[in-house]
Amino acid sequence: MTTDRERKFKKQLEIKFTKEFGDNKQDGGSITDKANKYHRLGVDQDPRKREMKEAGQKIAKERGLVGYNPMMHCGGIPLGQRAITPSFVSGTDIMVEPDDLHYVNNAAMQQMWDDIRRTCVVGLDMAHETLEKRLGIEVTPETINHYLEVLNHALPGGAVVQEYMVETHPALVDDCYVKVFTGDDDLADEIDDQFLIDINKEFPEEQAEQLKESIGKTTWQAAHIPTVVSRTTDGGQTSRWIAMQVGMSFISAYNMCAGEAAVADLSYAAKHAAVVSMGDMLPARRARAPNEPGGLTFGHLSDIVQTSRITPEDPANIALEVVGAGCMLYDQIWLGSYMSGGVGFTQYATAAYTNNILDDNLYYDIDYINDKYDGAANTGTDNKIKPTIDVIKDIGTESTIYGLENYEKYPTALEDHFGGSQRATVMSAAAGAATAIATGHGNAGLSAWYLSMYLHKEAHGRLGFFGYDLQDQCGATNVFSYQSDEGAPVELRGPNYPNYAMNVGHQGGYAAITSAAHAGRGDAFALNPLLKICFADDLLPFDFTQPRKEFGRGAIREFSPAGERSLIIPAK
Amino acid sequence: MAYEPQFYPGNTIIAENRRKHMSGNLEKLREISDEDLTLVLGHRAPGSDYPSTHPPLAEMGEPECSIRELVEPTEGAKAGDRVRYVQFADSMYNAPATPYFRAYYAAIKFRGVDPGTLSGRQVVEARERDMEKLAKESLETEISCPALSGLRGATVHGHSLRLQEDGVMFDMLDRRRLENGTIIMDKDQVGRPLDKKVDLGKPMSEEEAAKRTTIYRVDNVAFRDDDEAVEWVHRVWETRTEYGFQPKVYND
Repeated sequence: MTTDRERKFKKQLEIKFTKEFGDNKQDGGSITDKANKYHRLGVDQDPRKREMKEAGQKIAKERGLVGYNPMMHCGGIPLGQRAITPSFVSGTDIMVEPDDLHYVNNAAMQQMWDDIRRTCVVGLDMAHETLEKRLGIEVTPETINHYLEVLNHALPGGAVVQEYMVETHPALVDDCYVKVFTGDDDLADEIDDQFLIDINKEFPEEQAEQLKESIGKTTWQAAHIPTVVSRTTDGGQTSRWIAMQVGMSFISAYNMCAGEAAVADLSYAAKHAAVVSMGDMLPARRARAPNEPGGLTFGHLSDIVQTSRITPEDPANIALEVVGAGCMLYDQIWLGSYMSGGVGFTQYATAAYTNNILDDNLYYDIDYINDKYDGAANTGTDNKIKPTIDVIKDIGTESTIYGLENYEKYPTALEDHFGGSQRATVMSAAAGAATAIATGHGNAGLSAWYLSMYLHKEAHGRLGFFGYDLQDQCGATNVFSYQSDEGAPVELRGPNYPNYAMNVGHQGGYAAITSAAHAGRGDAFALNPLLKICFADDLLPFDFTQPRKEFGRGAIREFSPAGERSLIIPAK
Repeated sequence: MAYEPQFYPGNTIIAENRRKHMSGNLEKLREISDEDLTLVLGHRAPGSDYPSTHPPLAEMGEPECSIRELVEPTEGAKAGDRVRYVQFADSMYNAPATPYFRAYYAAIKFRGVDPGTLSGRQVVEARERDMEKLAKESLETEISCPALSGLRGATVHGHSLRLQEDGVMFDMLDRRRLENGTIIMDKDQVGRPLDKKVDLGKPMSEEEAAKRTTIYRVDNVAFRDDDEAVEWVHRVWETRTEYGFQPKVYND
C-alpha cells in the first residue's frame, strides 16, 4: 500500500487555505507549508461575521440593550486573529461558513432532530386483535385504509368524535402524518399507496427480504407528530400525542363507544405495549423523557440514517453519513446543549464531517483492507475476516498511523483540526469503522477505536482533554466484557452508556462503527428493522439518506424546515 | 541492586527525550530572574509577599493524624500559600515538550502538584511558591523553547497551527514575539500588558528542536519507526482488552 495517494481532502484544503475567502487574505502557498502569515484581520474579514456584527448593532439600537459585539472577545481582541476560513461539508461540494454549522444557525440540523424526536412506531396488530377477538369487529384492508384516513386527519389535531372542539390549523402542522408498513406483501398490496411505506420499493431486493423476514407479517404505523408540538413539549410527548389520536381514530373509524372498556386496550397498546420509541427514558440523574437524544442507542441511529439502502455497495459512505448525523445530534445537540449548555461543541463535531479528512482516512483503510485481506472491505458476508486481536491490531494501527502522518505531512489538515479531540475522533472513527467493515463486527471496531486512541496519545504526546482521555483509557477493558454492568454490544450502547455520557467527540464515531459493521455485511439494518423502515420515507422534511448534504443545505440556507409559525405572527 | 526507573520504552531519540523529561534530569539552557518569572506568571506583583489562604501550618494546631506525620508538607503548604497555576502550550512543530510529558515531569519530580493535561495546553496547579519552582525550571531548561512553547493561562490556541513566518508559534493574544533574535514577552499568562519586556531567551534552531523534541513526526522520527514504543502500546491495549474479556470467569 502506498501512502502517497491523492488525498481526498486536497481540493478542499487548497480552497480553504490557499484561496481568499471574503477578505481573509489567505491567497497562495501550499497546503503542505509549515509556516503562514497571520494577518490578524478580525471579524471584518468574514462575510457571515460581518452580517452578525451588523445584526448585533441593529438589535442593540432597536431594543436599547447591548448584545452581540465581537469586541467583547478577549478584552477587545476579536476573533479572526488567524484567518477565518470556510469548510466543505464532506462528501459534497457545499462550502459553508463555520458558524453556519452551529445547529442554531442551521435549520436542517434542527429538523433532523425534530424528525427523530417526533416519531414513534406503533404496532397495529394488537389493536386489530382487540377489535376482532374482543369486539367481533371485522378488520379488512378497507377498514385499515379508512382508519388511516381518519388518523391522518386526527394526528395533526383534527377532531373526530366530539362536537365543538378546538383544532390545530392544518397549515401549521402539515408535517404531521402517519404511514404504515408491513412484512405481509398481500396486505401491502391492499393498502392505499399514499399510506404505505413500500419495503419492496424503498429497499434493494436483498435488504427488503431481510426486513420482511425480520418483521414477519406484522403491521406497523410510522407516526410523526407536528414539529411545533414536539418543540413546545419534549420527546415524551410523542407517544402520548400519537396514542391519543390513535385511540380517537379507532373509535371513529370502527364506530366504537367512546369509553367502552376495550378502548383501554387500544390505548394500552398505543401508549405502551406496541409502541417503539426512538430513545429510551433516562435515569433520574439525567432525567429525560423517552425520545430524547440521550436514550437513542447507536443501533437506532444507525437504522434511522438511510444511506444503507441507497449505497449498499459502499459501506464506508454509509458509516460516514452516520458519523455526520451522530456527531451533529450527539455532540452538538445532546452533549453540547442538553448536557453542557456550551456553544463551542460545534467545533469538535464538525471536524468529523467537513473537508473529507475522515473520508480520506477511511477510504485509505478500505483499500488497505481489500489489498491485504482479499476484498474483506467489500459488502458481503462470505468475505469478512475473523475479528482476532491480530486483525484488529493490524487495521487499527495502519489506519491510525496513516491518519497521524496526514496531520504531520499536511499542516493545513492539522490546522483545520486544531484540537486534539477533533483529531482523536477522526482517527479513531476511521480505525473503528474500517475494522468493523472488514470483520462485520461492531465490537471489534470499537476495540480498534480504543487502540487508535492509545497510539495517537503516545505518538503525539497528547490526545483530547482530561475527561476525553479518561474515557478512552478505560474503554478497552469494557469492549469484550460479558459482565452485564460493564459490557454490551455496541448496537445496544448509547449516549448514556457508562463513561460515554460525558464526552464530546465519541458518540458519532461509535454510531458510525455500529453502522459500519452492518454495512460491511450488507445487512438491511443494524438493530431494529422497524426504525429502518419507518425512516425510509421521502415525505419527511429531512432527507435521512444524506444527512451531510442536508446539513450543507441548511448552512447555505436552502433547507426548508417544518413547524414554522409565520402563519400566526405579524409579517416582517 | 538498586532499582532504576526505566520511565518509557522506545529506541529512538524521541523516546530518549521522553525518558529525560520524565526523569527530570534536564539541561539548563537559559536564565530567567525571579522578578521576570513573577511578572509573566501574573499572579502577584514582583517582590510582594505570597498571599495565603490559611496561617502557616505550624501555627494552626493541626489535629493528631498519622498521614500528617508521614507526609512532609511542601514549602508552599507549610506557609499557607494560595494554589496558583502555570500553563504551557507546546507547538506540534517539534516543541521540546508535549502535554503528557510535561504532566509526567511535574508529577514525578514535584510534590503537591495537580497536573491537568489537554491536547493544546498543560496546566499545573500547586501552592504558589511550589508552582514557581516548577515554572522556573520549565522555562529555563530544555523542556521549553521560547518560540515553540508558550506560557498561556487562557486563549491557548496555537499548538497545531502553522508557525508564524518567523518560526514562532501563533498566539492569538500576541503575548510573545521575536525581537533581535530573542523571544520577548510583554503580556502575562492571561494577556495583561506588562510594564517591561521580559526576555525569555533565544529560540531553538529547527535542528536543535528536532533533536530535543518529544513528539513523533513523520518528517523527523516517525512513530511507526519506533518499533519498541509501538509494541508497548499494543501490549497495553491487548492486556487491558483481555482483562476485560475475562473468559476464565466462565470457565472456572
